[in-house]
Amino acid sequence: MKLDRRSFLRKSAVAGAAFAAAPYVRAAAPGRKFRTALIGCGWWGKNILKEAMASGRCQTAALADVDATTLEVAADQVNGLSGDTPKTYKDYRELLAREKPDIVIIATPDHWHALNTIAAVSAGAHVFVEKPTGHTVNESRAMLKAVRDSGRVAQIGLHRRIGPHHVSGMQFLKSGAVGEVGMVRVFAHGGGDVEKPSLNEAPPDGMDWDFWCGPAPLRPFNKRIHPGGWRNYLDYANGQLGDWGVHWLDQVMWWSGDAPLKRVFCAGGRPVRGVPVLNTKEQTSDAPDHQVATYEFEKFTCVWEHRRFADNNSEKHKIGAYFYGTKGVLHLGWRDGWTFYPTAKSAKIEHENPQLQEPDGHNLALLWADFMESIDQRRAPVAGIELAHRATVLPLLGMVSWRVGRSLAWDAATERVIGDPEANQLLSRPYREPWIYPSA
Amino acid sequence: MRFKHSLLRLGLRSGMVLLTVLCAAAPAADWPQWRGPGRTGISIEKGWLDQWPAAGPAIAWRAAVGLGASSFVVGDGRVFTMGHADGQDTVFCFEAVSGKPIWKHSYPAELGDKFFEGGTTGTPTLDGGRLYALSRWGDAFCFEAATGKIIWSVNVQKETGCPVPDWGFTGAPLVLAGRLILNVGEAGLALDKATGKLLWKSADKNAGYSTPLPVELDGRVLVLLGSSKSYLAVNPVDGKEAWRAPWVTEYGVNAADPIVSGGKMFVSTGYGKGAALFALGAGAPEEVWRARAFRTQLNAAVLHDGHLYGVDGDTTSIGGIKCLEFATGTEKWAHKDFRTGALSMADGRLIALSGTGTLMIAPASPTGFSPTASAKILDGKCWAAPVLANGLIYCRNTSGNVVVIDVRKK
Ligand SMILES: NC(=O)c1ccc[n+]([C@@H]2O[C@H](COP(=O)([O-])OP(=O)(O)OC[C@H]3O[C@@H](n4cnc5c(N)ncnc54)[C@H](O)[C@@H]3O)[C@@H](O)[C@H]2O)c1
Repeated sequence: MKLDRRSFLRKSAVAGAAFAAAPYVRAAAPGRKFRTALIGCGWWGKNILKEAMASGRCQTAALADVDATTLEVAADQVNGLSGDTPKTYKDYRELLAREKPDIVIIATPDHWHALNTIAAVSAGAHVFVEKPTGHTVNESRAMLKAVRDSGRVAQIGLHRRIGPHHVSGMQFLKSGAVGEVGMVRVFAHGGGDVEKPSLNEAPPDGMDWDFWCGPAPLRPFNKRIHPGGWRNYLDYANGQLGDWGVHWLDQVMWWSGDAPLKRVFCAGGRPVRGVPVLNTKEQTSDAPDHQVATYEFEKFTCVWEHRRFADNNSEKHKIGAYFYGTKGVLHLGWRDGWTFYPTAKSAKIEHENPQLQEPDGHNLALLWADFMESIDQRRAPVAGIELAHRATVLPLLGMVSWRVGRSLAWDAATERVIGDPEANQLLSRPYREPWIYPSA
Repeated sequence: MRFKHSLLRLGLRSGMVLLTVLCAAAPAADWPQWRGPGRTGISIEKGWLDQWPAAGPAIAWRAAVGLGASSFVVGDGRVFTMGHADGQDTVFCFEAVSGKPIWKHSYPAELGDKFFEGGTTGTPTLDGGRLYALSRWGDAFCFEAATGKIIWSVNVQKETGCPVPDWGFTGAPLVLAGRLILNVGEAGLALDKATGKLLWKSADKNAGYSTPLPVELDGRVLVLLGSSKSYLAVNPVDGKEAWRAPWVTEYGVNAADPIVSGGKMFVSTGYGKGAALFALGAGAPEEVWRARAFRTQLNAAVLHDGHLYGVDGDTTSIGGIKCLEFATGTEKWAHKDFRTGALSMADGRLIALSGTGTLMIAPASPTGFSPTASAKILDGKCWAAPVLANGLIYCRNTSGNVVVIDVRKK
């Protein structure tokens, strides 16, 4: 963590200056609350906003969502929880222009993160944006640049950077108790079966589906996509690797002190879910039902694995990271906390329980408190854009390797694939008009 | 009786049916339909045991019916419920006292395990020797209750093109004056109960999940429905909408039936939405009060002596039983850690089954919740309300284990 802050300060020397110079216009004067806005009022956006309200330091000024019903439900909940009566907007650009919020929370689907974030920091707001930073690598780079240029604080929703059992698990690893770690396996397994296509429908009343798709391709509306299901549609997200992978690959970055990636190869497909279907009548998702990605670093190898069939009852853990060291194996997990399985027969298994907020099993309260503190103290937040960008690049590169079907040699300094124009092309993607791909 | 007059005015044929529905006068203490004889969640039964030995209550019988949250209906010595297994839903008929299987009928159906284990969510309806059932995917059946012989069946979703809401059609069928009214489409539809022929339908928009509730207001018979964005009232004869109270709940889950008393309508739903009381008149309903901290997500409350008793909280929360004053919305007490179980009532006592399978009997009182009996009778999740009929309490969990508790006085 120290390392992150130091590297933040080094890399954002310019930003730091801007930060200090810019009048801290809309930061809280004593007693004054942050005017807070939420873009994307679905499941997770409401979870984050609840923490903002619970902190007692934020007033919910406005909400934006392209689904009018979702917007209405969120506004009603906010009113119930805090007494605030937020203005509601369909278009986040209008919200930013009219409301001039101090803080913007962004919890839209992945294909929107870059445009939303860039617009918000450019409008002068501090941002709490969900992972992953971007749907393609160069979106994430553009977000990074925009945040640096703005001098605003950006906290990314990687709450596993601050979750108590993650912090203590990292301490345990760094204490040397696991010995020399030569390999890491990160994974998120679940059950699943053949996927039958479901019928396309008219979008629900009050939903601007064209806006929802935004810069991404316009698919026919289907209940399986919105809300929440977009994770499994590659037009809008990157499947399980993009969703869960970023959390666990970020833990690897944290442990390794941002070791630069050298090479990645990813295989996978949909042998169980079946060939993707997309026609005017019906569709299925198209994310792979399993993937294995090998990440090569100078001093260790990291393997990502996910399977969305067969569950994983043959192993103790279904989600998390195994750090394989000379003194044993540390499993860093979710609801199962962390467990150390020592090599020596005489040694005892060590375990720590998680301390999560339920029902959704996160640590957003801590992450929000850190965000507030980093705004107050003008310091780098615990899950800032720099490290979140590095963590996001890993799953996104895995997806590129999977698409081109070969291994990629990565130049971490320039963030380019070495000698592979086709793969480099896939670090960006064409946007649908009128949206313009952001430049770094 | 005023009600009879309005029936005559409507020219409805089988007024008797409606009378049993609304007058709750069946002495046999059967439970022929969702929420019981008066559709209030309250049984008229008296003189049953509200205590049992420390070792636990007597268990009459057990059965396994497959996945689902379907409740029970009881009549003429038979009990019915539904469940799902291996790509099929099954409608079951057992002997009410012995649990001996009488008949069952299976049909292909999807599991529908969106954010829960899936399985059947609706409850059948018993009326005039017939059993009516509706699947999550729109299969409507009329069976001969004694034998399981199919009188007619139709898939109303395919027939009308109405969209299937996220968790499928859930409201139990309502038999009303020769019609079978279903919560399908934006404001319901009606079939001829004798033939299954479509009589009227509503807009091709999402239904909610409540059971159509017949009420008489100012001499008019109306049917109340939880739709995806409102609670609304329709005329059962032609489906014409009388009014609607806008009520937007997350994911469109307007599931708990409204409760009508003294010209007022009580509504309560989950996901942080809470409850409200509306005054009903000629025009649109007007809000009387709003209480955010009473959120009945799956099952409606019961109203007894001016107080509501219901389960507050979502399936993902700790949940609790609460008591609220009907007139004002004032919370009288809260009994925590109940999860999203469900309750019913008889003879002034709450019959409450916690979300984790503890059955409790407690006097319904605004002063507090003090069970006179309590026993852990099921594991897993219990979402279906316990049903008391003729001295037996029918309980189940979502994986389909049925336990029947004997509370008959010997
Ligand atoms: N950190 C975590 O542990 C965690 C957990 C869950 C979700 N998330 C992240 O939260 C984000 C949201 O996920 P969710 O599950 O809440 O999805 P969701 O589908 O429930 O909500 C997304 C909302 O964004 C709205 N939206 C889409 N485009 C918009 C636009 N241009 N402007 C305004 N609103 C728009 C949608 O209509 C929808 O209501 C994702 O990025 C996801 O990765 C993070």
